[in-house]
Amino acid sequence: MLGYALGVSCIVLIVGAWFLLTLGEEAESRIISPTILQSPWEVVASLPSLIIERKLLESIGATLWRVILGFSLAVLIGVPLGMAAGTWRSARAFLAPVVLYGRNMPLAALIPLTVLWFGIGEFQKVMFIFIACVPFITADAASAVMGIHDRYVETAQTLGASSRQIAFKVLAPLALPDIFVGLRHLFGLAFGYIMLVELFDAKAGLGYLISVSQRLGPRAHIYLILIIIGILAYGIDRLLAFFQRGLFPYRSEE
Amino acid sequence: MTDDKSVDNNPQVAEGKVAAVATEAGDKNSRAEGLSRIVEFKNVTKRFGDGPDAFTAVKDINFAVEDLPGRGEFVAVLGPSGCGKSTVLRLIAGLAPHHPATSGEVLVGGKPIPGPGADRGMVFQDYTSFDHRSVLDNVAFGLECRGVDKAARYELARQWIGKVGLSVDKDADKYPHQLSGGMRQRVAIARTLILRPRIILMDEPFGALDPSTRLRMQDLLIELWRELEATVFFVTHSIEEAVYLGDRVYILSASPGTILEELGVPYPDFPAKEMQRDPHFLDYVFKIRDTIESLESSDRAGDD
Repeated sequence: MLGYALGVSCIVLIVGAWFLLTLGEEAESRIISPTILQSPWEVVASLPSLIIERKLLESIGATLWRVILGFSLAVLIGVPLGMAAGTWRSARAFLAPVVLYGRNMPLAALIPLTVLWFGIGEFQKVMFIFIACVPFITADAASAVMGIHDRYVETAQTLGASSRQIAFKVLAPLALPDIFVGLRHLFGLAFGYIMLVELFDAKAGLGYLISVSQRLGPRAHIYLILIIIGILAYGIDRLLAFFQRGLFPYRSEE
Repeated sequence: MTDDKSVDNNPQVAEGKVAAVATEAGDKNSRAEGLSRIVEFKNVTKRFGDGPDAFTAVKDINFAVEDLPGRGEFVAVLGPSGCGKSTVLRLIAGLAPHHPATSGEVLVGGKPIPGPGADRGMVFQDYTSFDHRSVLDNVAFGLECRGVDKAARYELARQWIGKVGLSVDKDADKYPHQLSGGMRQRVAIARTLILRPRIILMDEPFGALDPSTRLRMQDLLIELWRELEATVFFVTHSIEEAVYLGDRVYILSASPGTILEELGVPYPDFPAKEMQRDPHFLDYVFKIRDTIESLESSDRAGDD
């Protein structure tokens, strides 16, 4: 309860500071010029025009669709690869260079390359998210499996389980809760990456709306979109947390 | 090399006549040696690493436990901390990195062991339950791996849940995080014993339990062991536990472990709580305590 109150007071502090910095009717009387930072009220008041003229909902849909598609693809490939890497030393050694390379790659540098490979349509955006996320998802899944105590494997071995049975009946199900937590964090990352491609080039999407607002105004839309992104990310994380509790009832809340 | 030989022998056994001859020969051998040996260590040494960093866990261990038909023997293994008690168990279980031994032979039923298997069930002290499986599915795990169909394995698992003193109605569908430490050990014991291993290896299974739960678990174990007639190796820190449970007590010296004393101890005739207060019982406990203390002090003197 105290933690909740502290969190709220932090938000109040930031909005308060924002309010003070943008106080005043005339542009000259403000500490920060309204062309750079609009007042909280001005930002909120620009919401109808963002929704109607700039088709906010359509862009939210476009962005979410790209992230979900690319991220799901990355999960489908990365989780099994990572689990294999965590289970078998040979698979780990085989995948190590790609994972290491992929995790350290400056992703912005990949954008021109994905354009070259996949054009500038939706496919390119989905593939960018996929390429950006797969190394992280693979590494996370591998470390989740490797984090499982050896005792579980030994117990299964003395109960007659084959290495295949250990992989599927012991390691995979024990690693899934941790993998899911990792995916929750990485989804936030993917959400950040999609902005990058959408700023670069897109016909809809939240990143596209930001770049339009920057070029054509109103600038208040930029702040508004940033706030909306934060709320969306929070909402998605809560949704995933809800699924997590339903999927893994055997995981005690600790 | 030895593995290849046993593989070569198998097809012969499959052919009727040859097999009969082979078994007869085998019987003669075992008669010549007395009873057959279920577990035998011949000059077993386990060393980890090389050069100056090498660590010798156990050194020149020799012992043989005979296969007592219709009974099985209960061997308690005692010794100071870090003396390699667990190494001995893990060598029998065939668990890496302790298996294989650096030198010497670990024989089970007269043959070298290829690796872990369900004929040598093991109960550990911690991380014992598969957290993602209900009590019923934990107990049925080994049968599931053997390919026993669902109805049959659940029926047997329910029997064993009852045998280890859990409630079939209330506990079978619970997950491990809903159980106490003692209940989780009951699940682990049921999960191992349901497979009726000929050798049961227990690595301080009651070490983390409170004293009264521990006594109850000891009585439960004795009861189940009498039913199963298996050979048990039980590693423990507690001298009382070793004397109460064991037919024989092996005392290992401090690192590197070598078996120094082998003692026969009284059979557990009464419940643990009563018997462990008996003066005659306590004589054994004190005698062993003195032995271990003299081992530890002579070891320390050697270091100085």
